Amino acid sequence: MRTFKIISLLVLAALILSACGGGATPVPPTQPAAPPTTAPQATAAPKPTTPPPTAAPTAKPAPAKLKVWIEMSDNPKLFQDEFAKYGKVNNAEIEVVCPAPMDKILAALSGSDAPDVIAMSGSTLAQSLAYQGLTLDLKELATMGGIDLNDIYASSLVVCQQGSKLACLPWGTDTNALFWNKDMFEAAGLDPNKPPKTLDELNQYAEKLNKKDAKGNYTQMGFIPAFPWSQQGTINYLFGGSNYADGGHTLTVNSQGNIDSYKWAQSFYKKYGAKKVIDFQSGFGDYASSENGFFAGKVAMAVDGEWVTGPNFIPKFAPELNYGVVPIPVAANRLDKYGSATVGGTIVIVPASTKNKQATAKLLAWMESPETVAEIMYQFANLPSSKKAAQDPRFKTIKNFQVFIDIMANPNSSGLLNSPINQELNDAITKAEEEIWATDVDPAKLMNDIQKEFEPKLKDAWAKVK
Amino acid sequence: MSASPAVRIERAYNPFTWSKRTRRNFRVGMLFLSPWLIGFVVFALYPMVASLIYSFNDFSFHQALKWVGLKNYIDLFQDKYFWIALANTGYIVVIGVPLILVFSFSCAVLLNIKVPGQSVYRMMYYIPAIVPTVASTLLWIWVLNPQYGLLNTALGFVGIDGPNWFRDPNWSKPALLLLALWGTGNTMIIYLSGLQDVPAHLLEAAELDGAGWWQRMRHVTIPMVSPITVYNSIIGMIVMFQYFTQAYIFSRVSSANYAGQSPVGQPLNSTLFYSIYLYQNGFQFLKMGYASAMAWILFLVILACTVVMLRVSERYTYYSG
Repeated sequence: MRTFKIISLLVLAALILSACGGGATPVPPTQPAAPPTTAPQATAAPKPTTPPPTAAPTAKPAPAKLKVWIEMSDNPKLFQDEFAKYGKVNNAEIEVVCPAPMDKILAALSGSDAPDVIAMSGSTLAQSLAYQGLTLDLKELATMGGIDLNDIYASSLVVCQQGSKLACLPWGTDTNALFWNKDMFEAAGLDPNKPPKTLDELNQYAEKLNKKDAKGNYTQMGFIPAFPWSQQGTINYLFGGSNYADGGHTLTVNSQGNIDSYKWAQSFYKKYGAKKVIDFQSGFGDYASSENGFFAGKVAMAVDGEWVTGPNFIPKFAPELNYGVVPIPVAANRLDKYGSATVGGTIVIVPASTKNKQATAKLLAWMESPETVAEIMYQFANLPSSKKAAQDPRFKTIKNFQVFIDIMANPNSSGLLNSPINQELNDAITKAEEEIWATDVDPAKLMNDIQKEFEPKLKDAWAKVK
Repeated sequence: MSASPAVRIERAYNPFTWSKRTRRNFRVGMLFLSPWLIGFVVFALYPMVASLIYSFNDFSFHQALKWVGLKNYIDLFQDKYFWIALANTGYIVVIGVPLILVFSFSCAVLLNIKVPGQSVYRMMYYIPAIVPTVASTLLWIWVLNPQYGLLNTALGFVGIDGPNWFRDPNWSKPALLLLALWGTGNTMIIYLSGLQDVPAHLLEAAELDGAGWWQRMRHVTIPMVSPITVYNSIIGMIVMFQYFTQAYIFSRVSSANYAGQSPVGQPLNSTLFYSIYLYQNGFQFLKMGYASAMAWILFLVILACTVVMLRVSERYTYYSG
């Protein structure tokens, strides 16, 4: 028994000591593996008469082996094909994993065999990873690969900036605008070619477009602030509000613009009955289906993204829909913001453990090239973050797409600032938003509480950033 | 002359006094044990000890550990979402476990009645337990759809205006309990096997003494299956304290805020269970130390509840034979 106890204690001690070792052994960011892109080909001895059968003076260098993981699951085959083309031309073997779930990405980043490039649908996590030193500063790789950062729309770059560094690069991007159903407008006695420009107009039109059944339940609504999902971040921005200032070092969740925006949304739910509106929205089908509230003619106006104009949404699920797109309405005292919106979407990051920086930089340069951006983003109707790509005439063939390009290019448009605690803060704000819509709680009180709770956390978080 | 028992025992515990044969037997034994032992150490013991250490550190993903002592635990007790998550989990345990026990016992009693097609009924009641959890949750989300779902449609036939199961915080947890009741096949099967062991002579004797159905149930059947009730209640309590999958999928679908941000706990934090909040802290906020502290608090809570239940159950459990 004593022996067993001694052995157990020794095993436990060994485990404790190994656990105190401080995480996984970090993999050196570059390893001196054979650099195929720099291996010279033309150094064969100049013997034209008798080339020995075994010698291969013109042998190609070994292809660079790179891994690309793409979180999004739209059309994996397109990505496979495009990267295969790159591989053929550039002597590279690109292994593409698409879709790559976020859990898998996080697990890979903590190991030693992370991919070389990861494309993610949003920048929030990318920023967190960069703050922890898990990804590379892409300014350096952009220089290495010859990426022209001036060709990228400034509004789409904001979400990637971390001081003087770039935590990521936009790879296509997104923004939002107001979709309106012209037939529903006409049926309600509204001018189908005159969508709202201000929030007051939006409110008036929405009231005229609402319909109820005999039991008092909605069968049609003019507008729902949280349909298809919360656009509060954009609306707050158009009210002049924001969550951060000073490059993310100062918390401003309780800014007047934010509070005014939440009050507007709350008044909407209060006027029409939060429970009835929520019940009505619960009956909608899947977002990507013909039962989408807007596609099915249940909601006359909706704030949504540019991808909806593309082949995977309206043309697929509601090809007969008679609709238009304009910038999101603004408050009457914020007409200066009309035509702008927040910009942010798909981004790419490069894990710090990438083994072949040179080849990765070259691949990244190809991904960010106007030709590639235009080709891929056109297929999905995503905004081309490259200015040259935006000139591609194919984008003009997508109905109502130009509105989004104009919004992205608007000097008042911008990405949202971030910080090392973005995930946690966004979660708290999301919970608060739900409470604001569903109850009579004072938005200022909730935002002040969040401000008070997260100010010290933000300060601590920045203190830890390298 | 052989040694006394006490001396023999002491020699057995002292490897230095072992004979060659004993040492060889020990090595062979350890060799047979090694697959399990290695698995246990690598996949259970090491993670447990590591998480205990992480809980005293500020640890985020790939960064070096930074000792903070009890700060994670103190912060937890000051975190309002910790208490919300604990309250929601407490609800599911306190209401869910007894409900599941009563429901599955009732099903087992019914399925124990000898009627034509008994095996078919047993199969029908058990099948939901083997449907994958994610698939069954998605199925129930359709059943509970407030406008088009089967349940509200059926309630509508009898003049009841069904609630918004997803978006009404008063009904989200009852909706999850409905899911849980649908999948009680395993508990029901265990009760069913226990009912087979209820001595027939006791039931006959009670019947001869004039005991009615309910009296036989209360004074004979239920006491005789009490060990199974204890087992099911402890296992059910442990499972419910770690309630995750159904609530995670449920809140993702019910949320109005989904924009690739994985919101959980909606509506209005009513489905923010302890495991979900733990997952959120560990894998969304990347606060591994904080999440590890949550994990150890959960372990201690479950341990305390198990000990209490075992102590209390001694009074009410009857072990025959």
